Amino acid sequence: MTTSKELSIALTGNPNCGKSSLFNVLTGAHQKVGNFPGVTIEKYEGYLDYRGYRIKVVDLPGTYSLTPYSPEEIVTRKYLIEHRPDVVVNVIEGPNIERSLLLTTQLMEMEVDFLVALNMMDEVEERGMKINTRQLQKLLGCHIVPTSAKKRTGLESLLDHVIRVGTGDITIQKNKLFFRSGLEEPINEISELLAAERELAAYNSRWLAIKLLESDREVYREIQRQPAWVKAEVVMQAALKDARRLYGSDPEELISEDRHSFIRGAMKECVELPKEKRTSLTDYIDMVVLNRVLGLPVFLFVVWAVFHFTFTLGAPVMEWLSSLFSMLAVAGGRYLPDGMVRSILLDGVLAGVGGVLVFLPNIVLLFIGLSFLEASGYMARAAFVIDRVMHRFGLHGKSFIPMITGFGCSIPAIMATRTLKSRTDRLATIMIIPFMSCGAKLPVYVLLCGAFFAPSMAANILFGIYLLGIAVGLWTAWILKSTVLSSDSEPFVMELPPYRWPTLGSVVFQAKVKALMYVKKAGTLILAAVVIIWVASNYPRSAVIEADLQRSRAAVEADAGLGAAEKEDRLSALEQSAQSEQLAHSLAGRAGMLMEPVIRPLGFDWRIGIALVTGLAAKEVVVSTMATIYSLSSDTDTGDLQATLRSDPAFNRATALSLMVFVLLYLPCVAALGVMKKEVGRWKPVLLYSAYSLAVAWVLSFIAYRGALLFL
Amino acid sequence: MRLSELQVGDKAEVTGLNVDAAIRRRIMDMGLIKGTRFKVLRVAPLGDPMEIFFKGLYLTMRKSEADGIMVERSGGVGDGMPMHTGARRRYGFGGGR
Ligand SMILES: Nc1nc2c(ncn2[C@@H]2O[C@H](COP(=O)(O)OP(=O)(O)OP(=O)(O)O)[C@@H](O)[C@H]2O)c(=O)[nH]1
Ligand SMILES: [Mg+2]
Repeated sequence: MTTSKELSIALTGNPNCGKSSLFNVLTGAHQKVGNFPGVTIEKYEGYLDYRGYRIKVVDLPGTYSLTPYSPEEIVTRKYLIEHRPDVVVNVIEGPNIERSLLLTTQLMEMEVDFLVALNMMDEVEERGMKINTRQLQKLLGCHIVPTSAKKRTGLESLLDHVIRVGTGDITIQKNKLFFRSGLEEPINEISELLAAERELAAYNSRWLAIKLLESDREVYREIQRQPAWVKAEVVMQAALKDARRLYGSDPEELISEDRHSFIRGAMKECVELPKEKRTSLTDYIDMVVLNRVLGLPVFLFVVWAVFHFTFTLGAPVMEWLSSLFSMLAVAGGRYLPDGMVRSILLDGVLAGVGGVLVFLPNIVLLFIGLSFLEASGYMARAAFVIDRVMHRFGLHGKSFIPMITGFGCSIPAIMATRTLKSRTDRLATIMIIPFMSCGAKLPVYVLLCGAFFAPSMAANILFGIYLLGIAVGLWTAWILKSTVLSSDSEPFVMELPPYRWPTLGSVVFQAKVKALMYVKKAGTLILAAVVIIWVASNYPRSAVIEADLQRSRAAVEADAGLGAAEKEDRLSALEQSAQSEQLAHSLAGRAGMLMEPVIRPLGFDWRIGIALVTGLAAKEVVVSTMATIYSLSSDTDTGDLQATLRSDPAFNRATALSLMVFVLLYLPCVAALGVMKKEVGRWKPVLLYSAYSLAVAWVLSFIAYRGALLFL
Repeated sequence: MRLSELQVGDKAEVTGLNVDAAIRRRIMDMGLIKGTRFKVLRVAPLGDPMEIFFKGLYLTMRKSEADGIMVERSGGVGDGMPMHTGARRRYGFGGGR
């Protein structure tokens, strides 16, 4: 391994022990970090150069043990077995060292080359814990490097040790953990039998024997195919009987107990807890946040606060941006010569792209709010508080975490459902995530709320829209779970992490990344969509309408009985109506007309229809399409879409409400549909889901429209 | 006695795990094995998942999971009984840490 100066290392450890944080500070990457178990769900690779070595670092999903439980944990074990990194770095959550060492004992059994990164040392010190690493090193037979990903300490030492282990400069002691009599003997016997199998040569035979006695399904399947199985099975049966006779239990439980008693011994020798027990800040916060009476109100308040924050704080900046774009539009209208270039720049690019960019502050604030929920540690608590409700609807408390992520973007949220073990729970959660209104839909709501409702009402209407999405989602889950996806629900056993302050740097960074992504999307996907829309709504042009316009114009010009001002008015009215006729004649217009009968009952005309179809590319495009089409059909180039909508006779409060409901519920964007297919594995459920969401959207929009017409 | 029958504030020790194989594994991986002492911290607002504390860990589980965990109650709120997590020292006097 020393010939080429390359090394590969893998970060393993319990969920939430800081693997991704470490990965980020080591490689300079920006993997998602959050203070709840199960943030990382796939392996990620990164590289760094250190002392002439090119080190490949792999960040893996967290796992409590090497007998995996949920889909994302399988990734970790598979990686360790199949890819065999040169060095495994076992990241340990310092304050929670006792629980973390369980995984370490299993790495010892596997006899991989590993070392321990004792992470979160800053918290260990803060709590007044003392860990005797030298003694612990002796017991575990591997090197232990204290680190802190937050304070960036111990990183060089960690890398030095990685290189020394990787190059064989220091060897792992391969300490063995011995089990009680009645277990140790069969483990040895089976291990000898398996060691003779050539096909199993890649594995450590003692590890296989232990896993076999732990009734690990995959190892069992593998070994059953070997000739040695005949003899091994006899030994195993005897071991099972012995365990029952001697200890009244089964080998799996006994093995676990023995590992824990080893750990308990190590803890006694090496770890000193603070003398006096203090009530921690986490305890105090939880007394309120998880209080029997206050828990639910706090939960609702937190979710409400995030949306309020998004809307209220964003509004002034949005106004400002919006007037900036208006000024640009007015200036452009004055200086650009009439013609195609002017129209494509003003009605297309400026209206469409600008119309979307205006909402940048809201988007950034939304993501800041969500990342605060994720980083503070409230996420897992929300799952705890709301589990009962979720359970009622056939979901899992943990389903709630992807649902919250879904308020940002459906795609990572759909992928995050991998932390759910039961397939039916997972499917049901995937199917409801698109109803959790994603950030891309926010511009539509902000536009319409802002145009048709007073600011004090707007934030509440926005919150109401999100609640409606949650309600429809839960209802859908309930239907799914009580029909096609019925099964035993998944058990709920989850750890609550201590509260942690999100670091300002990471929040600012996240905000920057989201802002850049949004601007990039506006400059690429949305720009392209806008140009296509512009072309489709300008061509083909009708020569008949053009000729008509010329004729009536000449007639007005020739009319001697009109004053100059009156002439001007008449001409611009003519111009306007010809423009509208051309729009209706264009490709987009005709396609929209085809749809109109279907969406008419919802209060939508063909223009909204077109916007909805183009919104499948990305939901923000709904806004930019509307901006382009409305800008084309009006000749006042103010660039203010809200004002244009307000003055449009076909648009009123009822239409606005109905449109918000429809956008909330109808098909997710193409990218999200693709990810759904990938995670579900087949197209059929996705297509069924699409039909369902369209139907629900239609019915609820209809109700909203008719209701609003009656009451508003 | 079952874990689900304990009251908030009770301290107890696990005496056996009569739960499904998969969930038993997860519970054991968390360190809740025979002999572990813990304290019941609270029950969720809507009465279902409950939260227990042991070995520096805050663990939540549904009552249906807690049903299968057999325990022996060792004390209630403020009775001065230590919720020590080390080896059993019930019969020890002084000595040891
Ligand atoms: N105080 C302190 N906090 C840390 C340290 N390292 C990580 N954290 C915090 O611990 C939490 C979990 O960090 P992650 O890096 O997401 O953990 P992970 O191991 O990747 O978690 P999963 O992907 O869920 O398995 C975050 O809130 C981090 O800010 C550290 O050294 N000190
Ligand atoms: Mg991670």
